[in-house]
Amino acid sequence: MARRGNPTSAINANMTPMIDVTFLLIVFFVVVSQIVDRDAVSMDLPAPQQSAAGIPEEPLHVTVNLLPLEGGNIADIVVGDHTIGKDALDELTAIVRTHLQGGATEVHLRADKSTRYTHIHRVIEAIRDVGTTPRLQLVVNGEIR
Amino acid sequence: MILRKRKAGTIGLNLTSMIDVVFLLLIYFMVATEFKTAEESFPMDMPMRQHGQTITLDDEPLVILVESAGTKLEDIRVRLEGPWDPIASLAELSSFLRSNKATGFGRNGLFAESHPILLKPTGSTRWEHAIAAYNVVVNAKYTNISLDEPS
Repeated sequence: MARRGNPTSAINANMTPMIDVTFLLIVFFVVVSQIVDRDAVSMDLPAPQQSAAGIPEEPLHVTVNLLPLEGGNIADIVVGDHTIGKDALDELTAIVRTHLQGGATEVHLRADKSTRYTHIHRVIEAIRDVGTTPRLQLVVNGEIR
Repeated sequence: MILRKRKAGTIGLNLTSMIDVVFLLLIYFMVATEFKTAEESFPMDMPMRQHGQTITLDDEPLVILVESAGTKLEDIRVRLEGPWDPIASLAELSSFLRSNKATGFGRNGLFAESHPILLKPTGSTRWEHAIAAYNVVVNAKYTNISLDEPS
């Protein structure tokens, strides 16, 4: 059987709908993507029901992470690029003070939901020892609204 | 100058390179995107501590003791220090705070919005329980909330 066809024109698939969909997907991912705060260590934050917490404004801040251990204890404390021992509270105070002198106005405290309050309180006291009056933000997981 | 005639056919841009880049972008975003809820926070003002000085409060603070009886969120135990009726749950704490508020919620209670509220978890209280109690007080629209040393 003889085949008809134009031998001079290339056979092309219609790419338009695919490009439309692809661009839509890209726009979606660009919009929903959020640059990860590299100071925020991954942990299971508290998530209160009917939370009255708000999304913190983004002034310059220093984040204090309490790395959790089993049994509600903490392993280390991560502040910015520094990892310090859980008992090196003087060092914590010095680092937070340096950040505050460098323009930071808030201290974000991130702790696992299982962490015992005694550890949290020691860290809060160490931050208070800085001597100025930083605003402390107790970080929690937001609710899906 | 002799112009050659194009052969018959559709005139189109070569989209191959653009599609390559677009697919690369798409794959990047699909791999790099992680869906999770945004973090929120409770602001807490910290009064400056100066050695040799104590902070005097205008009003006697309402002290709320917070304990953990287990690892679940509902395993929280709250008590009020002072001559108040006992409360057993966060719901009762919320009800107490709202009904004793001087303004708002249609009440004329004892505590002004700026009345000092002192949360006093024990040393072994889980952080999520301390935060849950803090959240109840914030939800009741009190503004002067502090976390005290472990009881």
